[in-house]
Amino acid sequence: MQNFFQALVSGAAVGMIYAVIAFGYQLTFATSKTLNFGQGEALMLGGLVGLTVSSYTGYWIMLPIVMAFGLLQGSVVELLGVRQAIKIKSEAGWIMATIALGIIFLNLAENIWGRDDLKFPSPLSEQPLSFKGVNILPMEVLVVIGAVLLMIAVEVFNRKSIYGKAVVATSNDRDAAGLMGINTSAIITFSYALSSMAAAFAGVLVAPVTLTGATMGSALGLKAFAVAIIGGLSSGMGVIVGGLLLGVIETMTGLYFSTGYKDVPGLILLLLVLSFKPSGLFGKSTIKKV
Amino acid sequence: MLRIENLVAGYGKVQVLQGISLHVPEGKLVTLIGSNGAGKTTTLRALSGMIKPESGKITLNGTDIAGLPAFKITRLGLAHSPEGRRIFPTLSVADNMVLGAFPRLTGARPKGDVQADIERNYDLFPRLGERKEQLAGTLSGGEQQMLAMSRALMLQPQVLLLDEPSMGLSPKLVEEVFIIINRLKREKITMLLVEQFAAAALEVADYGYVMENGRLSASGEASALKNDPAVRAAYLGQAH
Repeated sequence: MQNFFQALVSGAAVGMIYAVIAFGYQLTFATSKTLNFGQGEALMLGGLVGLTVSSYTGYWIMLPIVMAFGLLQGSVVELLGVRQAIKIKSEAGWIMATIALGIIFLNLAENIWGRDDLKFPSPLSEQPLSFKGVNILPMEVLVVIGAVLLMIAVEVFNRKSIYGKAVVATSNDRDAAGLMGINTSAIITFSYALSSMAAAFAGVLVAPVTLTGATMGSALGLKAFAVAIIGGLSSGMGVIVGGLLLGVIETMTGLYFSTGYKDVPGLILLLLVLSFKPSGLFGKSTIKKV
Repeated sequence: MLRIENLVAGYGKVQVLQGISLHVPEGKLVTLIGSNGAGKTTTLRALSGMIKPESGKITLNGTDIAGLPAFKITRLGLAHSPEGRRIFPTLSVADNMVLGAFPRLTGARPKGDVQADIERNYDLFPRLGERKEQLAGTLSGGEQQMLAMSRALMLQPQVLLLDEPSMGLSPKLVEEVFIIINRLKREKITMLLVEQFAAAALEVADYGYVMENGRLSASGEASALKNDPAVRAAYLGQAH
């Protein structure tokens, strides 16, 4: 039973990381119906830039710097890879472009930081807290709190500020948003910036728990994509539930079967969702009006 | 105020407008009538930048706006209440209204008193006031139409384009919409109104243009057009 709770706690922490990255997928999908398939690499760059910056500034001051870096990196992805594809209404151009940019970022990172995984110094004690035999790393708690705070912050921005409302309006109806005087191209760039910021933030949250390295983002980006599909690309609640579900299923599989199979149940879940509820567990099926 | 010269526009290779010229003087209400598919909506879409005109000149208060993106045209003071209402369904009535004032709230146009204008809209459309916290997507068709109109008014526009504000409404609501248009006219808001109810539109308008297959076939004082036998026969359903 202790092991069960242990797996639950660890699964929840990694699940929240998936949720934050999946949340990033949702941000760009909402405004432009496109996704940044380089989300994993945005996370990795956040982790590595964070590692370098924190060696000068320490962890906490590094956070806003890495988030600013994420904003910039996401804008670059949109301007170079996505904008043209949207303009010519290309169905697939942005897919290749964002994957290509992801590979370029991966190469760049390998050349700057090397191919080996690096230890990211933890800002909190690495002594686990023990509750009735269940060990929780303080960093795991920070992961969950940080992830939730980030999503709440974006949600509050969208609901309360005029620019956030402009983002929602663009997601609702891009042409009509243009008629309100909203520069919807800029809003789409902004949603990419925000999406990469979320990924970079996730990168520096997870790095002290795992390790940092050029390839740290690939698997995370892919799994978060699965989470976005499982939860629904339009549901904020969906990515949290989907992320926790996938995270916990993985650790449980590792515990009760074998760590070698830990990726399998999540992917089976993904296939099941795609077969029986393609809009995601929490997604509303979109009815196209003609 | 708004002047169109030789406007040619369409969708891709399909040319809808074959060179139209039209003038909306300051403080006047001009209506554009014609049968379905004549190009009325396309005209408004070209004016507000929802589609790029192929050629021709559009000036708003002397500024050439032809081919500018929609958001820039809006920031120059042209508001468009589009066909199909196009309200933001997942936002509240109040938020839809606030977004109409986006250029005023972000420094692109003089700010004025946005809150007072919202209250004024609630006076004009009391039903919206009762539903301000409700999601716009849950409103009835008539309420959505009122929201689309009041959202466009929130710009404090120099020119207001209204595309079929009576579409899909019950006769009673149609009457209400025309009362409001009349009220806006008395407030000297410059308007270009596209309408299927030609008789009602000519009743309220100062000037009228009749559109046929992408061309203007007649124009003049609304009262004169209303009594023109050809117009009566084709659009006012009074041939017999």
